Amino acid sequence: MDLWDFLEYAAWAASALFGLFIVIDWIKTDSTYSEEFLTSSREGELEALTEEQHHRG
Amino acid sequence: MANAQQTEHVGLARVLGPAHVWALGVGIVLVGEYMGWNFAVGKGGAYAALMACWFAGILYTCVAMIDSEVTSTVAAAGGQYTQAKHIVGPLMAFNVGLYLVFAYTMLEAANAITVGFLVDTVATMTGHEGGLDQRPFIILAIMFLAWLNYRGVLATLTFNLVITAIAFTAVIILFLATSGIFTTSPLQHKDLMSGPAALPYGWLGVLAAMHFGLWYYLGIEGTTQAAEEVRSPARSLPFGTLAGVMTLAIAATLTWYVSSGLMPWEYLGQAGVPLFDAARLSGSTFLMVLLGIGTLFATLASANGCINDASRAWFAMGRDRYLPGWFGAVHPRYRTPYRAIIFLVPIALIFALGAPIDQVITFSILSGLLEYTFMPLNIILFRKKWPLESIKRGYEHPFHPLPAYVLLGLCGITFFAVFLGYGTQLVAMIAFYIVVSLWFHFWRYRFVNRGAQFTMPWPKPRGY
Amino acid sequence: MAKYTAPVQSKIGQIVDVIVLLIMAIGALYIPLWMGMAGSSKEPVAIENPTWEALGQNPVMVGQWEKLGYSDPASAAELITARFDYSFSISSLIVMIVVIVGYYAILLRFSEKEYRDVIAEKFGE
Repeated sequence: MDLWDFLEYAAWAASALFGLFIVIDWIKTDSTYSEEFLTSSREGELEALTEEQHHRG
Repeated sequence: MANAQQTEHVGLARVLGPAHVWALGVGIVLVGEYMGWNFAVGKGGAYAALMACWFAGILYTCVAMIDSEVTSTVAAAGGQYTQAKHIVGPLMAFNVGLYLVFAYTMLEAANAITVGFLVDTVATMTGHEGGLDQRPFIILAIMFLAWLNYRGVLATLTFNLVITAIAFTAVIILFLATSGIFTTSPLQHKDLMSGPAALPYGWLGVLAAMHFGLWYYLGIEGTTQAAEEVRSPARSLPFGTLAGVMTLAIAATLTWYVSSGLMPWEYLGQAGVPLFDAARLSGSTFLMVLLGIGTLFATLASANGCINDASRAWFAMGRDRYLPGWFGAVHPRYRTPYRAIIFLVPIALIFALGAPIDQVITFSILSGLLEYTFMPLNIILFRKKWPLESIKRGYEHPFHPLPAYVLLGLCGITFFAVFLGYGTQLVAMIAFYIVVSLWFHFWRYRFVNRGAQFTMPWPKPRGY
Repeated sequence: MAKYTAPVQSKIGQIVDVIVLLIMAIGALYIPLWMGMAGSSKEPVAIENPTWEALGQNPVMVGQWEKLGYSDPASAAELITARFDYSFSISSLIVMIVVIVGYYAILLRFSEKEYRDVIAEKFGE
C-alpha cells in the first residue's frame, strides 16, 4: 500500500459521494415540486425579455 | 425556495458575462492543444499539421462569424438547435441537436480518458509499481464536474475561467521559456523537419491532416449554448466567441512551434500528451510540473464545458418534446437543467470506460463536422428568409455569402480527409443519422406542437 | 390550417423512446468496433536489424529519440516505419459522396415539409 493505492480508494469514495448528493437532491426536488412547475420553462419567455432590454438600451 | 414557488414558472438564470463566454468557448477547446491535435502530424507530418491548423483556423473564423450573427438574433439555450428549428426546419433541428449532444459528450469522455492516462503517467513517474486502476479517476472527473454543473452555472463557469486561464498561461510560458529569448533555445526545427520528414505523405498528407486539424478548435461554437444565461447575449456572445477563436489560433500556433521543434514527427504524431512531453524534453522540472498541471486543468475545463453544453442542448430538445418532455425540467433552486445533466452522466461513462480514445475523438469530430456543414446552409437560408432590413441583428457578419461558401468548401475537404484512413466510421456515423432521422420524421415528431415551437418574435419568413 | 394538437406521451412511451435512441447511438459507435472495421489503417514495416541511418534519422533526431527514452533504433523502429495507407478506390469515394449528399438531401427535404406546417400554423393563413 502506497499513496497511490489510498488515492484510488479516495477517488472511488469521492465519486460515490458526488453521485449520492446528486441523486438525493434529485429525488427530493422531484417530490417537493409539481411536474408542471419543474417543466414550466419556455423558450420564448426569455427571448421576450431580451427584446425588452434591446428596446430600453 | 419559497420565492421560486411563488413565481409560476422557473427558467434558467441570467447571470453570465462575456468573460464566462470566453471561458466556456476556450475552456472546451484548449485541451485540443494539450492532446489530440498532434494526430494531424501523424497523418501528414509537421508542416502539414501547421497548414491544417491555419486552414482549420479559416474554417472556424467562418463558423464564428456565421454563428455570431445568427446567435445574436436567436438567443436561446440549445444554440444551433434552436437556430435550425427557426430557420431550416424541425428534422434539421433534431439532427443538429444530436450533433451537439454527441460531439460534446464524446469530447467529455475523451477528456476523462486523458485524466486517467495522466494520473497513471504521474503515478509511474513517482515510482508507483504494479500499475494503477484508472477507472476511479475517470469516474471521479465526470462525477465531480456533473455535480458542479448540477449546482449552478455561475460557479461552474467561474471555475472554468480560472483553470482555463492557468492552462493558457502555461502554454505561453512554455513558448517563452523555449523560444530563445532568455536562454539558448532547445528547438531544432531545421534538422527535425529536413529531407523526407518535411512532408512524409506529400501533399495528400496535407489534406489528410485536416481531419485532426479541426481538433485545434473543436467546440468553440458551444458558446451559443449559454445564450439563455448570459446577461446581454447580443453583445457578449459575438465578443466572447471571436475573442475565443483568436486566443485559440495563437495557442495552436505556439503549441505547434514548440512541439515540432522538440520531437521527431513520427513520435509526435502518436503522442498521448504532447505538450507534457515537450516540457519534459525542455529539461526543466518547473516546466514539466507546470505543463502537467496545465494538461489536467485543460481536460477538466473541457469536460466541464462539455457537460454544460450537452445538457443545454438535451434540455432544449426535451422542452420542445423533440425528446421526452421529462428532460425539459429546470431545478428550482440551482436553475440548471438538472435531469439532462443526470441523464448524460452514464452515457459519458459508458464511452469513457469502454471505447478507445481515437474512436471517441473521431465520433466527436464527425458530429462537429456535420454541424459545420449545416451552418452555411443555415446562414444562406437565414439571409434569404429574413433579409438584413427585416429583423435587427446584434451582429452582422461581413462579405456574405463568401464565408458560407468557404466554409462549405473546407467542410468538403475535411470529409475527404476523414475518409482517408477512417472511411468506415464516416459511413457508419452517417448511417446512424439517417436511421435516426427517419425515426424522428415518422414517429417522434407527432409529439411536437407545430406552431408553438417557433418562439422568436420575428415577422413571417419571405417565400412562405 | 387547423391547429395540430400533439398527443401527450405516456411515461412508458417516453422511456421506450429514450432507450431506442440510446441503442441506436451506442450501436453506431460499437458496431464498427465489434466488426473490426474501425480505426486507422496504420501498419509498421518490419526492418531487420534497424540502424538509425536505415530509419532515415539524422543525429539531431537521434538525440531527441534518446531523450524520449528510445535508446536503440530497434525500440523506435515500429513507430518510425508505421505509415497510413491512403490508397482508395474511386468507387468507395463515390459511395461516400452519395451517402453524405443523400443524407443532407433527405434532411433538407423533410425539414422543408415540416417547416411549412410550422409557419402556416404560426402565422395563420
